[in-house]
Amino acid sequence: MEENIVKTDVLIIGAGPSGLSAAIHLADLFKQNELDKQIIVVDKGQSVGSHILSGAIIKPKVFSELMPDVKKEEIPFNSKVTKDAMYMLTSRTSSFKMPFTPPYMGNQGNYVASLGEICRFLANKATEKGVEIYTGFAMSELLYDEADNVIGAKCIDTGVDHNGEKLENYVEGTGVQADITILAEGTRGSLAKQLIKKKNLHEGKNPQIYSLGCKELFSVPEGTISPGEVYNTMGFPAMQDGVFGGGFIYGLTDNRVALGLVLGLDYADPTYDIFRALQIWKTHPFVEKFVKEGKLLEYGAKTLPEGGFYSLTKYYTNGAMIVGDSAGFLAMPALKGVHLAIYSGMCAAKTALEAFKQNDFSEETLKKYKEFVEKSPIYKEMYKCRNFRQGFSKGTFAGMFNFGTQIITGGAGFCGKLSVKSDAEHTKTIADFKKTTFKQKYASYDLDKPYVFSKVDDVFYSGTLHDEEQLVHLRVKDMQKYVSENIAKYDAPCQYYCPAEVYEIHTDRNTGHKELRIHSENCVHCKTCDIKEPLQAIEWNVPNGGNGPDYKNM
Amino acid sequence: MALTIITLIKQVPLPSEMRMGDDGLMDRTKAKSITNIDCQFGLEAGLQLKKRYPDARMIVCSMGPQSFEQSLKRSISMGYDEAYLLSDRKLGGSDTFATGLAISTMLKHLGFHKDSKEPFIILSGRQSSDGDTAHVPSQVAEAMGLPQATFIERIEANPDGTITARRIIEGGYQILKLPMPCVISFTPTGIKPRKPSLLGAMKARRSQIVVKSVDDIKMSEENQKLIGINGSPTLVAGIENIESDRPPIMMAVGNSEKELVDSLIENIEKGGNELVKKEAKAKKEVDTTGMEVVDLRGDNKGIITWAEVTGDKIGRPSLELLTPARHLAEQLGNDTKITTVLIGKNVKHLAQTLFEHGTDEVVVVEHDKLEEYLILPFADIMTQIICQRKPEIALFAATTAGRELAPRVGMKTSSGVTADCTALEIGDYVDRKNSRVIRPILHSRRPTFGDSKLATILGSVYPQISTARAGTFAVPEVQAGRTGNIIEFQPTLKDEDFVTSIVETVRGDGGLTSLFEADIIVSGGRGTVGEELKLVKELAEALKQQGYKAEWACSRVVVDEGYAEYARQVGQTGKTVRPKIYIAVGISGAIQHLAGIKEVGKIIAINQNPKANIFRHADFGVCGLYQDILPELIERVKQGYAFGVTK
Repeated sequence: MEENIVKTDVLIIGAGPSGLSAAIHLADLFKQNELDKQIIVVDKGQSVGSHILSGAIIKPKVFSELMPDVKKEEIPFNSKVTKDAMYMLTSRTSSFKMPFTPPYMGNQGNYVASLGEICRFLANKATEKGVEIYTGFAMSELLYDEADNVIGAKCIDTGVDHNGEKLENYVEGTGVQADITILAEGTRGSLAKQLIKKKNLHEGKNPQIYSLGCKELFSVPEGTISPGEVYNTMGFPAMQDGVFGGGFIYGLTDNRVALGLVLGLDYADPTYDIFRALQIWKTHPFVEKFVKEGKLLEYGAKTLPEGGFYSLTKYYTNGAMIVGDSAGFLAMPALKGVHLAIYSGMCAAKTALEAFKQNDFSEETLKKYKEFVEKSPIYKEMYKCRNFRQGFSKGTFAGMFNFGTQIITGGAGFCGKLSVKSDAEHTKTIADFKKTTFKQKYASYDLDKPYVFSKVDDVFYSGTLHDEEQLVHLRVKDMQKYVSENIAKYDAPCQYYCPAEVYEIHTDRNTGHKELRIHSENCVHCKTCDIKEPLQAIEWNVPNGGNGPDYKNM
Repeated sequence: MALTIITLIKQVPLPSEMRMGDDGLMDRTKAKSITNIDCQFGLEAGLQLKKRYPDARMIVCSMGPQSFEQSLKRSISMGYDEAYLLSDRKLGGSDTFATGLAISTMLKHLGFHKDSKEPFIILSGRQSSDGDTAHVPSQVAEAMGLPQATFIERIEANPDGTITARRIIEGGYQILKLPMPCVISFTPTGIKPRKPSLLGAMKARRSQIVVKSVDDIKMSEENQKLIGINGSPTLVAGIENIESDRPPIMMAVGNSEKELVDSLIENIEKGGNELVKKEAKAKKEVDTTGMEVVDLRGDNKGIITWAEVTGDKIGRPSLELLTPARHLAEQLGNDTKITTVLIGKNVKHLAQTLFEHGTDEVVVVEHDKLEEYLILPFADIMTQIICQRKPEIALFAATTAGRELAPRVGMKTSSGVTADCTALEIGDYVDRKNSRVIRPILHSRRPTFGDSKLATILGSVYPQISTARAGTFAVPEVQAGRTGNIIEFQPTLKDEDFVTSIVETVRGDGGLTSLFEADIIVSGGRGTVGEELKLVKELAEALKQQGYKAEWACSRVVVDEGYAEYARQVGQTGKTVRPKIYIAVGISGAIQHLAGIKEVGKIIAINQNPKANIFRHADFGVCGLYQDILPELIERVKQGYAFGVTK
């Protein structure tokens, strides 16, 4: 039997902007320093970009730092932002244009892009530089040495049934040993989560808090919107519901429009449903005009870490570094993480070079990563808005006030480091949630429109697929407790927040007994369940490689 | 002497990527490519065989453009060692005959032939999702002179070096025993293809695909004339869109289940609403003035068909075949005869049935060794008869037997074969290049490209061979007492035609292949899970009791919830079915499900939710609780009602 272990120098897990930038920059640095090292990038999506979802509006400057030899015109941005306006949707039908764009949210000089497209471009550049990218492989566990230092990661075993029993087509997952492992899995990375827990990397930090973005891409009739037109909305329906966040509408080439709703997961209502909020938002006349005649092309959903500076995890340990969304590098309030992800990848690459020069991969050397970050634009951007998001956890109006004071005080606000609870802790039981729930409020809302979709139909447009034969990748830690707590007291929030109808509560007709059913094949890998479920009762694990959504232009 | 396992694969556009466009047609322009699903099962079968022969040399081969390297690399990442791609512009446009010829030439060039000292086995998928012919495995086998087994689910390697194979046949299965070397093609129902390992992917990245040209494989000048678009014995003369949109639904009205069912029955009798079709563009008439009209048939004359005998009866598809045969004979005129070949042991008495269905002559071949169908002797006998009688057209029913027999015979007679036809007509071919009109010529029409197009295929070599899709043509009306000539034929049988033996043949109630054969499918969705599809099954059973080909099926959710086996799932991730009547009970009509019933004759939707999507895609609808409607329907069925379907 062949040894199923591969040895390499650098293993990067995740082919998103942070992982690919780390690979590109490190390949350049190795070349400059005449070091012959192998860099392997592994991604669970079936191809580069399959699991990438972002608005996206991108600040272009970082690309010239990452790839000085690449002209801006070569980068496949969709269009330059030509018009940038913020609208306040004051009710179901009314709206007004905000006279100014809130600070840090302007988009002059930025580009609308499909991040998937950008990633494919970066992947080609990385490949040209000798980086080996393998897609369709899910790494499910980290490898440690006797002293518990990270020494690589292992792919998931495939060809097992629902109980984990080996089938005839069983294939053991390959282990990859590396001097340095860089975790670039994106939001709520599952290996990063394991590592953070094992090494206690989040000690003394605010819990990370997240938003969920649900996005649809439409083909629209000529003249509906021009490429580069950018609208952001505040207000309806989220603000009225006391939920943080807003909507975006971006005009793309070929008469396409990308739009979506990004809402904070730190809400209290156990029945809140962001997907449904998106559908409701689309019925607002301001939004409706863009989608009325549209034809849905794609759908996707993803969470993003919004905790900011104080929620950043410690992003290095012996043998490993964490980059991009996995560490929490995202700048609020602009909601931009792409350039920070790239900077973090570059910082990690610089650190890795140092480590190879000194042939020391311990924390002693890797702590330089922090120094590089603090000298980079990441620090500047994240520090000045360090209290932005926390200030909104009491709702958008309180947040506005808080944010105002932060601008005056350079980010400190009135009370230093605002602390927050985790998103899961924010969810209240039905009994404790005194207000009208989302479910009640919109129960009879008229959604019978051609541009309004059900979750199941939208999931079809995400292209998501999962192998039938594997362990269910969504695991409820204690099903009995789930029934007595999460279903009985919280009305099973997963059936509402999940934007892909993975969770269904089935009531037995005769006994009235309720149980949770998991349709894991619908999962679009947004990780909301891992984040938002009360008592952290559900755990998201990686399914087989190549499973999950197949985003093309998200 | 290590065994060499050679697996043949093809790369195809991903079927699930083909979304329905505005026009209701499959949009495959944006489709990604994958290794054809059936071929993936072939690859897995090879890897399973390696468990038995750990030293086996694993080779994967394909023919096609350079982009096929993607699938070859993937095969290496699954566990194959070497990959060969036959890629040459000269091969562009090759039909299945030319493909079989080219691939077999490459394999011979690589050192694998009938008399090789080193043992080897050739594996492949049953058919490709874009071509759908299932010809190439048979043609490769014939061109190499090897025994074959097609439609195989599983194989076992025996200690004596033989292979035991489980073959799917209509309504059951058959266990075959074959010697090596042989060719085996796999259905996508066996052991599921494994996922590649990262280690394998790394190996694949570092491996080299060996690309061979036609010259590299030393194909003879003579054979080079038979490949590519010009050499292939068949050509695609035209492709037209199949209008697959349904007319608006006709809903049942009534205040009780009885009234609703009455109304439904009345609607079905009316035939539903009419589809207002867009005016078809007038076809451009080709100016043929001054062109010479030529008849290339030479002394080939008449139509020959093969009558498949199962359980001392002529198979229904073989009788159906006599309908297009008669139609063609009439079109050809000039006293064109239909000759049917009847092979078996004590089958002569069945000739009368054939005469009564329209055959003019029956060639009877009887032999003790021919009791059951076996590809090698049957292909030999058919070829001997064809060579002797020189028909212009040979027709086979597209059953599992017909679909392997026709291409094998085609290879022997150098004829192209058109698979799975739904229409057969006599027409012209305007050969502009040579400024002539070829007349008469057989137009074989078959659905293609995910059944969204109808291709017309012509053959240039006589006999022109086609297989006809079972269930497409009606069985001709019986003309009691009609008789004809019986000709007894003594074939030359070779011992080597009997190297394959049948261990066992099991024909049961059909398991689930019957889903494909059913005229009526009753399908349950989420709404019917509550009572475990009891009424759905009852309705199907009632129809069966009345002697109809009925079966029950379900939507994905029912399988997910454990109320039915996966084999019964209809939809994009399940089966695509084509019954005459599809009764959707409690099915909401998710897009995934609709993809599996696009080709159904008439869809009857029963759902209590008036807004259910299924109503937008069905022909007849009943809005109401199925628990009320179904018992009423079951009662009607017991009284003899069958939704307009005939037995």
